[in-house]
Amino acid sequence: MIKDIHKRKFIFNLLTGITYISLSKLLFLKKVNAKNKPNVVILGSGIGGASCLKYLNKISDLINLIVIDKNKKIRTGPFSNLVIGDIMEEADITFFLNKKKYNNVKFIFDEAKYIDSNKKFIEFSDGNKINFDYLIISPGIGYKENIIDGYRINDKVSVPHCWDGDGDLNYFKKRLGVLENNSLIIISSPDYPYRCPPAPYERASLISNYFKKKKINVKVLILDSKDSFTKQQNFFKEWSFYYKNTIEWVSRKNGGKVVFFDRKSNLVKNDQGESFKADFINIIPDQKAAPIIFNSNLVSNNDDWCQINPITFQLINFKDIYVVGDSINAWDMPKSAFSANSQAKVLSLNLINRILEKDYIDPVFLNTCYSFSKDDRAFSISAWYRLNSSEDRIVSLGSSESQVRLNSTETIKEAKHAYGWYKTLVNDIFL
Amino acid sequence: MKKISFALFIFICSNCFSDENKINIIVENCRACHNVNINVKEIPYIYDLPKIKFIELMLSYKKQKDNNVMTRINRVLSEDDIRKIADLMYD
Repeated sequence: MIKDIHKRKFIFNLLTGITYISLSKLLFLKKVNAKNKPNVVILGSGIGGASCLKYLNKISDLINLIVIDKNKKIRTGPFSNLVIGDIMEEADITFFLNKKKYNNVKFIFDEAKYIDSNKKFIEFSDGNKINFDYLIISPGIGYKENIIDGYRINDKVSVPHCWDGDGDLNYFKKRLGVLENNSLIIISSPDYPYRCPPAPYERASLISNYFKKKKINVKVLILDSKDSFTKQQNFFKEWSFYYKNTIEWVSRKNGGKVVFFDRKSNLVKNDQGESFKADFINIIPDQKAAPIIFNSNLVSNNDDWCQINPITFQLINFKDIYVVGDSINAWDMPKSAFSANSQAKVLSLNLINRILEKDYIDPVFLNTCYSFSKDDRAFSISAWYRLNSSEDRIVSLGSSESQVRLNSTETIKEAKHAYGWYKTLVNDIFL
Repeated sequence: MKKISFALFIFICSNCFSDENKINIIVENCRACHNVNINVKEIPYIYDLPKIKFIELMLSYKKQKDNNVMTRINRVLSEDDIRKIADLMYD
């Protein structure tokens, strides 16, 4: 009986839905026939861009959907520390978009150099151009130069920062692999805001885990540009359980702020004039929006990040240009893959509503960010987000963290959840 | 199947009463881990549960004292939210 009611309700919903979309489509196509279909361009096919693609593909017969990326393969930021820690292979976090899922989508693999927001075109390095009616930019992040004297972002000889899909993870691992007993590693952790706030501390944990398994005594010194960090108590507990006397954290006020780097002598200096010599120095640079944003003058007033409307993700002062992911100021939301995926859902649904001339949805966002301390132990921080009462910023409804305990199975369960979330995400958007 | 999910998707994203709308987008966020089309061994697949079981499970998290991820995510959801989420996911 209940099944029958469900079946009737399902058929009713389905028929209503089909009728609704048919009418919407008919009305829309009538307009489209008078004009060409709108060009909807997604620039960047990382987690934010690929998530938008998944949703916009559902109306790909109503629009010309075009995806632009300089790379055919996407290597994710999430789980890259597990590659560094020799728990996963680089191939495990590298994906090609499954084009079979996107028959109506045009893919262009080329580097966009400039976006003309007035004339609404994107220019490539070879001078070719492509027009857009609506542009979604999911560009990842860029880096601030000249914060650390002597450090160059693209120096190929130093240890790469590996904070994006371009960094050479294998070179990073190769440099780690030659370290001997009693070596010192320095990780310089950036100032807020930056992509994936707990990741420098996860990296320190997984590097220590790697050497512990190899029975090589290596110390990791984290010199931090901040006085506190997310999940701090949980990391401290894990470090006291598993990496006692192996990981040391120095806050900014205690000399953690690195201001000078000398590659030749493998030395950094802090803002208090102290020098630290190490065998391996990993500087994670301070961050800002991606270069294409600045090259195209899409930020104003010396902002480091894109300012957006939190309902539509349209750039403030730039009509029909939307930005998602780590390059935006998302107020209370951290820069994470889960956040980018959640933002992409709202952006896409509201862009579809705009194209179909429907009302915007009232956004709700979720973030859950897992961090590993060893192969089978992880903990998380989660929060729901909504708009504030004046609907001009995203606010947290309160974040909460796991409570790590040595003898609890929760931390092991959370590691499984983390692997499960990652598999679900990449299967959903890339495969 | 593709057409059905497309029709339902548009139906979902276009029925814009504020409260229902909120539930729709909450469900989209749940799908980041609990995807209807992807069943991974590390995360429970919830779509083959009876609706009542789902509601009981979600409400049981509210009584749990530990701090696992679902307990924490559940904290913000009211009983009414949970019932509406179940309506959307199972009806």
